[in-house]
Amino acid sequence: MNKAQGIIDELEDISITGSNVEDFESPLFIAWQLNSACNLDCLHCCEEAGHKMPDELSREEAIDFCRQIIDLKIPYAAISGGEPMLCPHFFELAEVFTSNGISLKVETNGMFIGDKEAKRFAKLGMRSIQISVDGATAETHEVMRKRGDFRKSLDACKLLIENGVNTEIVFVPTKFNIHEIGKAIDMAYTLGVYGFYTGKIMRIGRAAQNWDLLCPTDEQYAEAFEVLKAKQVQYDGKMKVYYYPYDVVDELKYRLHHPAASLLVIPNGKVKLIGPLPFLCGDLRRQTLKDIWQRYKKAWKEKAVIDFTNRVINDPQLLCESNRWVDLYPE
Amino acid sequence: MVFPKYVKVRQERFGAVVFDTLKEKVFVSNPTGADILRLLGEEKSIGDICDELSRSYDGNPAQLKVEVNNFVDELRKRELFII
Repeated sequence: MNKAQGIIDELEDISITGSNVEDFESPLFIAWQLNSACNLDCLHCCEEAGHKMPDELSREEAIDFCRQIIDLKIPYAAISGGEPMLCPHFFELAEVFTSNGISLKVETNGMFIGDKEAKRFAKLGMRSIQISVDGATAETHEVMRKRGDFRKSLDACKLLIENGVNTEIVFVPTKFNIHEIGKAIDMAYTLGVYGFYTGKIMRIGRAAQNWDLLCPTDEQYAEAFEVLKAKQVQYDGKMKVYYYPYDVVDELKYRLHHPAASLLVIPNGKVKLIGPLPFLCGDLRRQTLKDIWQRYKKAWKEKAVIDFTNRVINDPQLLCESNRWVDLYPE
Repeated sequence: MVFPKYVKVRQERFGAVVFDTLKEKVFVSNPTGADILRLLGEEKSIGDICDELSRSYDGNPAQLKVEVNNFVDELRKRELFII
């Protein structure tokens, strides 16, 4: 039999990383919350960021982690925070990734990007920088992003684009800004960004605490998604307009049966199963990344995880516990 | 003929995974596809790939050539490979 037959049939688009997570020898994606310090105090922060954690990974530990990512041939990593640019070794880590062929995305509020930093990013050859812009006007952006500066974030986008850095905008819809989503997309296009990303606000961290203040109504979401559909058509082939239509509960329902081939690493080196759940499956100070990957796959089958996830699905208020970590395998 | 900068190919036990990290889309292939992907990564021509695979796989060389061309064409259409 000619084994070549059927190869095209098996080249399938599984769209979301890791629908068959058991098959992968290592993760396909690492989401790394590098630090917890942040210069802003956003009402909707998933991580409840602000102050530095006392036990964050040291520079040496962080570089060792990068090396493990490279050794395991993990193709794609995202660095976020807190505000990652507040980390003194941020650029050094980014350099380790990109010089070893790893696609790197950086998620930042853009407040620390001047001309010098934009040029430095350009040299790195990253996949992208995602700047959080939560409005089409300073008023809306800054009411959500306390101590934020709309103008600085837009200037960061402009500088990055001028220097040839692939730049994306992330917009979190809330009661404060959802009416501006169309204008924000138009603004993103005018700036020349590669993509505009949005989706329902995640009910975790500070967003969960401020849920009633922030969460748009179903009618507001429906209207916004109509705008997004129209903007997708308007900017087809010119700018990527992407929105994820599901909320955290939908995501958890799916992930319970289809875990992603990705790991979420928090600033102290502990590894979470997924942002909205409190469970930890590993610790970079105690296990290798390779071992943590095996723990991750096992963890999704643990009764405690399945039971709690089902409880969250039935009672989303429990999402408030997402940052009260529970170690599944204490030593 | 090259893989775009943000398209990453990784060999797996089941074959290979092709990750377009820019579009954030993942594709998988069987072991034969994995062999083709590996050889494409080594910058081998379609002809060389067919020659090499015909030494490893049974079957009609002409049919193999069609399959390899189709596979590469499929990669190209999905912007996973630049010819």
